[in-house]
Amino acid sequence: MAPIYNTSRHLKALYISPLFVALVCLAFCSRLSRMKAASICTNSQTGCHFLSLANLFDRVIHHSARMHGISNDLHSEFELYFLPSKNRVSRNCHTSTILTPNGKENAQRIAREELTEVILKLLLAWRDPLWHFHQNMARHHKFNNLSSNKSLEMSEMVHELRKGVQKVAEKMQMLGIISNSLGTLGSREALLASDSPEWRLMNDYNLLYCFRRDSNKIQNYLKILKCRIVPEHGC
Amino acid sequence: MTVSLSSIILLVLLNSALDWLPTPGFAFLMDHDQRSSSATLEPHFTDCISRDQVTFRCWWSPGRLHNLSSPGTLSVFYLKKDSPTSEWKECPEYIHENRECFFDANHTSIWTPYCVQLRGQNITYFNEDDCFTVENIVRPDPPVSLNWTLLNISPSGLSYDVLVNWEPPPSADVSVGWMRIEYEVQYRERNATNWETLEKQPHTQQTIYGLQIGKEYEVHIRSRMQAFVKFGEFSDSIFFEVTEIPSNDSTVPFTLVLTFGIVGVLMVAMLIVISRQQRLMMILLPPVPTPKIKGIDSELLKKGKLEELNFILNGGGGDGLPAYATDFYQEEPWVEFIEVDEEDVEGEDKEDNYNSDTQKLLGLPHRTTEGCSTISYPDDDSGQASSDNTNLPAHDSQMLIASLLPGQPEDNEDTVDTPASETGERPLIQTQIRGPQTWVNTDLYAQVSNVMPSGGVVLSPGQQPKIQDNTSSSESKTQKGEKKNEDKEGIEEQTKNEPRFQMLVVIPEGSEYSAESDAIQTSTPPSSPVPGSGYQTIQPQPMETKPAAMPDTNQSPYILPESPQSQLFAPVADYTVVQELDTHHSLLLNPPPSQSPSLCQPQHPLKAPMPVGYVTPDLLGNLTP
Repeated sequence: MAPIYNTSRHLKALYISPLFVALVCLAFCSRLSRMKAASICTNSQTGCHFLSLANLFDRVIHHSARMHGISNDLHSEFELYFLPSKNRVSRNCHTSTILTPNGKENAQRIAREELTEVILKLLLAWRDPLWHFHQNMARHHKFNNLSSNKSLEMSEMVHELRKGVQKVAEKMQMLGIISNSLGTLGSREALLASDSPEWRLMNDYNLLYCFRRDSNKIQNYLKILKCRIVPEHGC
Repeated sequence: MTVSLSSIILLVLLNSALDWLPTPGFAFLMDHDQRSSSATLEPHFTDCISRDQVTFRCWWSPGRLHNLSSPGTLSVFYLKKDSPTSEWKECPEYIHENRECFFDANHTSIWTPYCVQLRGQNITYFNEDDCFTVENIVRPDPPVSLNWTLLNISPSGLSYDVLVNWEPPPSADVSVGWMRIEYEVQYRERNATNWETLEKQPHTQQTIYGLQIGKEYEVHIRSRMQAFVKFGEFSDSIFFEVTEIPSNDSTVPFTLVLTFGIVGVLMVAMLIVISRQQRLMMILLPPVPTPKIKGIDSELLKKGKLEELNFILNGGGGDGLPAYATDFYQEEPWVEFIEVDEEDVEGEDKEDNYNSDTQKLLGLPHRTTEGCSTISYPDDDSGQASSDNTNLPAHDSQMLIASLLPGQPEDNEDTVDTPASETGERPLIQTQIRGPQTWVNTDLYAQVSNVMPSGGVVLSPGQQPKIQDNTSSSESKTQKGEKKNEDKEGIEEQTKNEPRFQMLVVIPEGSEYSAESDAIQTSTPPSSPVPGSGYQTIQPQPMETKPAAMPDTNQSPYILPESPQSQLFAPVADYTVVQELDTHHSLLLNPPPSQSPSLCQPQHPLKAPMPVGYVTPDLLGNLTP
């Protein structure tokens, strides 16, 4: 009787475990899909629906808003735990070398290609620093799990947003709205910025402060860009 | 690695010191209370605010010590750190009345750190905390054009919901998306002190739930940049109040309608009842189930008037029963009657036949008097009864008994027959064969000697041969109703024929006995009726009924088989039936077969008639000698 019981239990486990795995996969994949909500299909992918440029812009703008929100939350949490040093404002972010329009008028005045390029530079410049930041947070267990999840989400968002803006740029180039002068998308400057050792010297708080500022920049630039390219009322 | 270690140590130290350290932030980003409590005597900046993220302003205060309140004594310098070689510059635009320095769009750079300082003649007042970036000092203007609409009122009429909508501040460039604003709505009762705060949300409308009717409310809104900290000023308040809607307007007509509707329905019902529309009456007032036997007034059933009931049930009044039936309940067509007759015996199976046959087992004691119509009385009475077809029998016991005891001499019957036959009226009883007058008495008891396969019942087998003559004769007569002579011949002929089922059948329509004619005709060759040897039975005779005469034949309750001869008289059996009472009020069980003519005279023996059907206490009193 006992062996039969055992085998039945094992059989049960055999049946249940793939189910469990499937459930876990489903949950995980749903979470990933949520995070990838604003991702854009590549041309080579099949099964993607055609998205209009306005729709693409809306997606990336929504994504950037969310990214900025998370960066703000993390920054606020850091301010609770850390006493920022003086003159923190005057510290240099590693992205300070990237020329960015400083105001609304400036952003409306520069060329669209330039604006797109600035956005892409910024996003590229933050890919590695955020990744390392997340690694630091996870390794040292400095913060609660919520902050750790946010840092991970933030780093992934930067990655996804960069891809999204690249898709938008490609579509704009395809539609002839902007010229093809983007080319390498200013990767040289961005690579310099990302490779500079400055960001490695930044402490976590400074990094968060700088990223919060840059995410706000990205958000505003995308809005201005959309208003310039996709005509809407009020633009 | 070392960096992380140092940060950990720093974290531990700072956590312990967190409580008494002021919240980090720019100097003028602190609350005004804190700012004033710090009580700096020096000139200092009170606030720098940007409303549209394009320009910003800074206000300063001269302080107390040095009496530098006069304009021009202090100047504002700012440093924009957009390049490593930036320098302090003076305020581009002064507004001395407000001690304000205004930075226009050309001088404003977002995401660029600014530092401002006040300079006196020889002194520079600079607080390192007075450095900021413009996006962090943005306080949007409050929304404009506040308006409210009533959404709904709760069914109880005590609370309601309101939708408040507004326009974004005109200074904020929301359409371009340069600023993304979220709003915070606060409301309170007019004279309350605490505000209720709703969740921040970026839309330009919000619903307030659960406001109470009759109270005045105040609502104001402030705005803030999304994912930023600083709120703008509150908007101007709007006031609204929803008073109780007079519910009488809606309920009074409703109650009126309801009452009128009920009154109308009642009136219609009364009209229907009064007008006695049968169909509607059926619907409105379904009849109360009471015993309703067709042709019988239910009143009879009430007070024990059984003699009338018996009379009616036994077909008294002749064919007055159907007419009688139609009189009653004529206005109530929906009444379901209890059908007492069994006219539909034809075509039934054997069992039914058998049952119906058993019901027809009535041995009638009969007596035969030769040449004597002993039953002249009954004859007369029968005739009277027959003639009284349509007359309802008065509650006369004699009539009742006459109907119940149709002993009819043949002669008289013959005499009566002919006129009856001529007239077409034929009492059912008058199927007797001509011949010796037989005084046929109804007798409920008859001994069944055998049951024929055809379903016929053989009664009293002992007297078969005699019966045959009679039966044949009666048979012929029943079938054809011919004249006597012919009958005789027919009788003689038919005596050799199949024995006939003779039986006594009670005819009256509506009675519990089956119709004689149908029974006789449907029954297959009847067996030879053999009245029990012990009984004074009248041999059942086939009923002679003409089909035409069927409806008229309900004149007598019984179809009396004609007793053939006098030899039918048999010794008394175990039980017998009281046949009659003589003049001396003695019971006559076996009326003598050979009676003197005197006896043959029409008698009215029944001073105390004997009901065959029921004996009620009323009648019992009559029976007692």
